Amino acid sequence: MKAAAITLTDVTKRFGSHVALDSVSLEVLPGTAAVVLGPSGCGKTTMLRVIAGLEVPDSGQVLLDGTTVSAAGRTHVPPHRRQLGFVFQDLALWPHLTVRQNLDFVLGSTGLSRPEQERRAHDALALVRIEELAGRYPHQLSGGEQQRVALARAIVPEPRVLLLDEPLSSLDAELRADLRSELARLQRALSLTTVYVTHDRKDAAVLADCVIEMRAGRVLAVHCDRSRRHDPA
Amino acid sequence: MIGLAFVAFVVCCVLPVAYLLVTTLGAAGSGYVVVALDSRQQGLLLNTALLGIGTALLATTIGAPLGIVLARVPLRRRNVVRLLAGAPVLLPPYIVALAWVNLGWDWLSEWTYSLPAAIVVLSLVLYPLSMLATEVALRRIDGRLEEAGLIVASPGRVLRGITLPLVAPSVVAAALIIFVLAVSEFGVPGLLRVRVYTTEVFTAFAALYDFSRAIALALPLLVLCVVVAAVAAALLGDRLVTTRRSVAFSPVAFHAWRRPAFVGVALVIGMALALPLLILVREALGVRSLDSATGSIDAIVNSLLLASVGATLIVTIAVCLGYAQARASRGVRLAAQVLLVVLFAVPSTIVGVGLIGVWNRPAPFGLLYGTDAMLLLAYLARFVPVATLILAAATQTVSVSQEEASAVSGVGWLRTVRGIVLPQLRVGVAGAWVVAFVLAFGELGTSILVAPPGEATLPIRIYTLIANTPSSNVAMLALLQSAVIFLPVAAFGAVVSMREAR
Repeated sequence: MKAAAITLTDVTKRFGSHVALDSVSLEVLPGTAAVVLGPSGCGKTTMLRVIAGLEVPDSGQVLLDGTTVSAAGRTHVPPHRRQLGFVFQDLALWPHLTVRQNLDFVLGSTGLSRPEQERRAHDALALVRIEELAGRYPHQLSGGEQQRVALARAIVPEPRVLLLDEPLSSLDAELRADLRSELARLQRALSLTTVYVTHDRKDAAVLADCVIEMRAGRVLAVHCDRSRRHDPA
Repeated sequence: MIGLAFVAFVVCCVLPVAYLLVTTLGAAGSGYVVVALDSRQQGLLLNTALLGIGTALLATTIGAPLGIVLARVPLRRRNVVRLLAGAPVLLPPYIVALAWVNLGWDWLSEWTYSLPAAIVVLSLVLYPLSMLATEVALRRIDGRLEEAGLIVASPGRVLRGITLPLVAPSVVAAALIIFVLAVSEFGVPGLLRVRVYTTEVFTAFAALYDFSRAIALALPLLVLCVVVAAVAAALLGDRLVTTRRSVAFSPVAFHAWRRPAFVGVALVIGMALALPLLILVREALGVRSLDSATGSIDAIVNSLLLASVGATLIVTIAVCLGYAQARASRGVRLAAQVLLVVLFAVPSTIVGVGLIGVWNRPAPFGLLYGTDAMLLLAYLARFVPVATLILAAATQTVSVSQEEASAVSGVGWLRTVRGIVLPQLRVGVAGAWVVAFVLAFGELGTSILVAPPGEATLPIRIYTLIANTPSSNVAMLALLQSAVIFLPVAAFGAVVSMREAR
């Protein structure tokens, strides 16, 4: 049986006296989309950051494709070696780089040849339909366009796992619906293992193969049903 | 109140510089042409430019990496390290030059009185400006931008490709300000016998009584400083002064650098702070007679009194101007900021010449000339701009909506400012007072020109004693001056730390 793409085993993370994650255990299978649902402050973002290696768990283990990447108090594999893509809630686009340069910076760490980097950058921009924006700076783009750039930047290194932290929270309802469908389409097309954090059930309805419900740092329930996904349009 | 403060600002700060500009441009006669074509001018220009560029480069080379260390390397007792590494900027540069002269290393003797020596001394005094500008700029970076980089690149690559380009404008602006301060400096090149514009202005006026020549020499320096300072201020924009350290969110932390960083920081603190003070202590221990010390009591008391009164007047004006600047529209705010930086950048000897030109005339202006009031005017002219910048930044942290809430509740403006705004500016006002006091207490270039006959401040006394008094006596006075400067700063720092701990 294939190893889970992501495995968390009894992961606990504290910030001072606040327990952000309380013995969280879960698995995400390869090629599936897991949506983590819960109210603000329940630990969703912390869990994502622990998977990415941006936070070190106080106890428990984090495995990617069966390999331990973090264990209690220790990082075995730093973030940039985990082959992840991450879309931050506030996008974190580098303001001094153009759209294309944002992607080039990521590709510069892959060790690929220049022609291959060109191909990947072109493909990523085409996939999210922003080829014509390559020369612009982030402040010259609309909210929806910035969102697509963040997505392109996350998928351009062909990561094994894509992590998204409430990426649509700052968009209006119509744009949100469009991009939600777009994300679902991309995830299916690339068969990309995806963990998507949100507090909006509509996101789960469109995107999720599995819904992980969290509250107060704990996983309350996991519902997996590939047939649940539907296009609300 | 703001109107009165504005009038005081124009009279004290703008008028001397405006007078010089008008006089120089209006008298584009033979005197100026002769000076302009004088072959000495070329040497002066070269020396001045080299002093400025050399100091800016060396100070940035020392200071910027220290700023990165303070922001990105988890050092123990970082606050103490920052205080010690930043302390050299509080020392009057001529005191460090004095220590350099008394270094006593034979292999350096040829270089004791030289342009490279002046560059080294000024760099060791001014590098904290680069250090603090770099650290503040790094702390203002949104940590998410670096985290986004860490997902795909090593910390070193993120530092090079994401972080450093974002702080580059602040580092460059700090280098420009260091350039301006270096070319404006009088005490160090004077002591180390380096011919630059500021020493020539002083010689032309104080030794040769050639007012026209002094003014003619002042113009190129004034223009240079104004242009460079304006560029620096425009580059920094709203980031010029910060009063609140950002929450320490620095995802790129170089733990492996701790030991080498600590060694580097210790080396710099040793060279820039410990060594000069130890040299002065060594010299001071050789004191045989306390005559020059006891004979300096008047100068010491004078300095303390004048610096205290001066700082109080400076802060009184600056709090009004700072409030007005903070509440102005963005365009006006930035224009005011550029003007304030430019005024601060005007070299001290040039301010002195300007003050003499304005106030050395028949009554009513002439009533103040020849009195201690001229020293107070010197402090106001030089330091109201920097105090205003500090207090404008402090006022900006008080949200406008607080005043609006007071207004809609029926409270008048004056009561709102007294009851809502000023109480929240207590730390900023205290900090501005300490900065103004330290700067005024150590001021030399303007004071030496405008001090009334028979009156002296401690810096003037030290500078004039250097030529004909044993170095031990001068060293003792210099140490005393350093102690007076560090005490209020240390006290202020302790009070702020206690407040933050609470």
